[in-house]
Amino acid sequence: MADFSRESMLDMFIYEMNQLVEQLEQLIIQGEQGYSMDDINEIFRIMHTIKGSAAMMLYDNVSKTAHSAEDLFFFLREENPQNIDYSKLTDLVLECIDFIKNELAKIEAGEDSDGNPTDIIARVKAFLSQLKGEAVAEETPSAPEPSKPAEVKESPAVPVAENSAVSGTLYTAKIFFEEGCEMESVRAFTLLQNLKDYITNVTSVPEDVVAEGSEDIIKKDGFTFSFNSENTYDELCELINQTIYLKSFDLSSGTLKNYKAVLFFEEGCEMENVRAYTVIHNLQAYCTNIKHEPEDIINEAATEIIRKNGFKFSFSTSKSYEEVSKELYNTVFLKTVDVEEITESTETPKSDTGKEKEPKSLEAEVKPEEITKEENNAVPENAPATAKSKSASKPAAKASSKAADSAAAQKKQAPTQHMISVNIGKLDQLLNLMGELVIAEAMTTQNADLEGLELESFNKSARQLRKIINDVQDTVMSMRMVSLSTTFFKMHRIVRDMCKNLGKDVQLEVVGEETEVDKNIIEHLSDPLMHIIRNSVDHGIEMPEERKALGKPEKGTVLLEAKNSGGEVIIIVKDDGQGLDKDKILNKARENGLLKKPENEYTDREIHQFIFHPGLSTNEKVTNYSGRGVGMDVVMNNIETVGGTISVESEQGEGTTNILKIPLTLAIVEGMLIKMGGTKYTIPISSIQETIKAKNEQLFTDPDGNEMLTLRGEVYNVVRLYDFFGAETKVTNIEDGVLIMLENEGQIVCLFVDELIGEQQVVVKSIPSYIKKVKGIGGCTLLGNGDISLIIDVAGFFDK
Amino acid sequence: MENEHIDIVSDVTEEDTTKDKYLTFEIDNEEYGIDISYVIEIITVCAITWVPETPDFLKGIINLRGSIIPVIDARLRFKKPAKEYDSLTCIIVIEYENYKVGLIVDTVNEVTYIPEDKISIPPNAKLKYQNKFIKSIGKVGKDVQLLLDLDKFLFLE
Repeated sequence: MADFSRESMLDMFIYEMNQLVEQLEQLIIQGEQGYSMDDINEIFRIMHTIKGSAAMMLYDNVSKTAHSAEDLFFFLREENPQNIDYSKLTDLVLECIDFIKNELAKIEAGEDSDGNPTDIIARVKAFLSQLKGEAVAEETPSAPEPSKPAEVKESPAVPVAENSAVSGTLYTAKIFFEEGCEMESVRAFTLLQNLKDYITNVTSVPEDVVAEGSEDIIKKDGFTFSFNSENTYDELCELINQTIYLKSFDLSSGTLKNYKAVLFFEEGCEMENVRAYTVIHNLQAYCTNIKHEPEDIINEAATEIIRKNGFKFSFSTSKSYEEVSKELYNTVFLKTVDVEEITESTETPKSDTGKEKEPKSLEAEVKPEEITKEENNAVPENAPATAKSKSASKPAAKASSKAADSAAAQKKQAPTQHMISVNIGKLDQLLNLMGELVIAEAMTTQNADLEGLELESFNKSARQLRKIINDVQDTVMSMRMVSLSTTFFKMHRIVRDMCKNLGKDVQLEVVGEETEVDKNIIEHLSDPLMHIIRNSVDHGIEMPEERKALGKPEKGTVLLEAKNSGGEVIIIVKDDGQGLDKDKILNKARENGLLKKPENEYTDREIHQFIFHPGLSTNEKVTNYSGRGVGMDVVMNNIETVGGTISVESEQGEGTTNILKIPLTLAIVEGMLIKMGGTKYTIPISSIQETIKAKNEQLFTDPDGNEMLTLRGEVYNVVRLYDFFGAETKVTNIEDGVLIMLENEGQIVCLFVDELIGEQQVVVKSIPSYIKKVKGIGGCTLLGNGDISLIIDVAGFFDK
Repeated sequence: MENEHIDIVSDVTEEDTTKDKYLTFEIDNEEYGIDISYVIEIITVCAITWVPETPDFLKGIINLRGSIIPVIDARLRFKKPAKEYDSLTCIIVIEYENYKVGLIVDTVNEVTYIPEDKISIPPNAKLKYQNKFIKSIGKVGKDVQLLLDLDKFLFLE
């Protein structure tokens, strides 16, 4: 039974969980100042979904953590208490989120999810009871209704307070022995003997423990017995706990009740039989006497039956109707579930109609459309999963007619059909193929065989082909584009946490988070941005008192802005803090021996660029967040790996602005093809300022042997490409070749090459890893004729 | 003994088709061999793009149906004089520890079977430079094959 492969489900689980957690985090951070009812509902739903999914995948620790948080929000939703310590609440929930995230990371890495949530849960519980205490104190007059679900907490470890007071309370216990301990029946008998001083009126399943065959039942379904006792719940727990070879037990007050249920899964959720198995598996923890139809759910054929007739099952448990329904609603991909209590003990699971329902049995049907309505555009895939949480509390919604419901369902579910999640590997492959296609097109239309031919019709077709290929390319690119919003929202959390720890008051303003960037690039952005924001909050923004003294608003502002500009995305992080201290930076630079010319010749811009050197932190104190001087150079490296640049502008006392320029995509570059010594190189157009045909008179050499070019009264460094690469070429006279003016981070260099060939869009391929990184080469590309052209990495010409 | 062995493994021979088989090739009139399981394909010499700042035996990169592969001139790797590439010159594309690399050799001869007991450890004397790239020596009949130690051949500085 345990052979079910969870792999495919695990992928989906992790994906779904990550999205939920992210969504949750956003909500929590946004709501720190006080949650609206919608927020609470949303958070409750998400927690519920996390709990359900985790339980299905048998990650109990995650499920339990989510459960405790869910309880908390359930209370908030139902009672709407005032005077909540929102900051503490947020801290607590964030802790839960962190725990879940941590466990998810473990699961993703293929490790066991072994974190212990007891501590967090205990604190959440304490907070909840504290809240409850306050809430009750406030609204004493309104006596709580007996059916209030908040009291129906099914956590077995929590003593049911009322029961301990009443004498001779009815309890039911279910006990499992360790596997392989043997003689289960005798052990069960011994247990009853041991307890006989404390309990009366014992009935057990199997009835006669020592009878033949009962041993197997105990092995399989556990040993269930109900009794009356005057002892408290805790005492009884302790007594039972003394049993030798005890594996697990579940003690609850009340008698065994029989239930039956019909359960339908979402259409198209697949693997209905596996899901049904999970349902049964979950039930086994606290139910006995489980029967289901179809009986053989492992069989593939069962899938069809379940899909058509629903999954019917019956079971006995001491739990109340509400608890049972609540548990069942946790089922992932649940469409509807119909639970009813059977009054007579004979079970007829086959007939699900015609049976008289218990009057109190509330029919709870799940209506996904209710939820999708409220979820709006928030991650449509989650809608079905989130749906179930709603129903438990909204049985009244049943009133509307079924026909209208199903019509609405179709209409509202429509958005979910418009989104599919695709494996990123497939997208990468598609992009590669796209690259090949662009090359193949060039190979065909620029084929050497066609040279000199008059091909009017061919050229027309070729143009058409190129147009279509361009469109396809744009579409493929757009498929990979992801908005920056998730990355940006992560920053809220960082700013919040830092403010709390550092005692600062900073607000993060986010602008243009809908800007889209290639998926591959986004992955590299998160860390650098985090670093810059930390720097801004930690080094930039002053303490509130200080700001007040300076006449600035006490609340500091960090602006995080993204915008499109040509083929690039510009991300700006701007703070209104103290700005960079030029003198300090200069001193540091001097200590580190970075200065190469007299100090007074350095421009502000050049001085600011020093912060990107390794080991240069101007902050005297090392804090939790920054100050070790291993920040900005790492940021710089990260940004450069995705082909971006970073620069910083600062006005002392006014604030600092970090500007990141990121290419929209890594894969395709607009390039200028040049020739040097028989090899063709490609230079990214974005770094080319202009091309110059220079005269010998414009050229001079400084005492160190560096060649310089004078142009329009300015002087520029000249780098001869053949010198730089140690290659050979016939073109060495400056008048025979071409100078290309390249710009990188505000610096300019003139590159001398043999000749220009032309502009071309090229697909970037990496140099095989066998070849070590070559300075000045960023990758390579295939030309139309199949030749390889190396792509120049402009930044390589600047660091010496 | 030999037959007995084959009987036992006959069921699993399929995965062992490359066992004890070596691709032999010539450099400067000497015959070398590499374990056939590393060999992906053999191609004729095509346009090689030189890459700056690389050792001279690393001739550059080639475009093999869309994938970029570095190529090593085995002659230069053995510190032997370079030779013009001709119609016999081949590139053996190998994959070793996830690195795809092409080896330029004078000519490729054949695939031979060299049983384990015909392979001996080379004499310790370091008479020739290329000795350090030789893992072992195979002898079949009169022929002697120098079997390449790919790890050293590819990665030794």
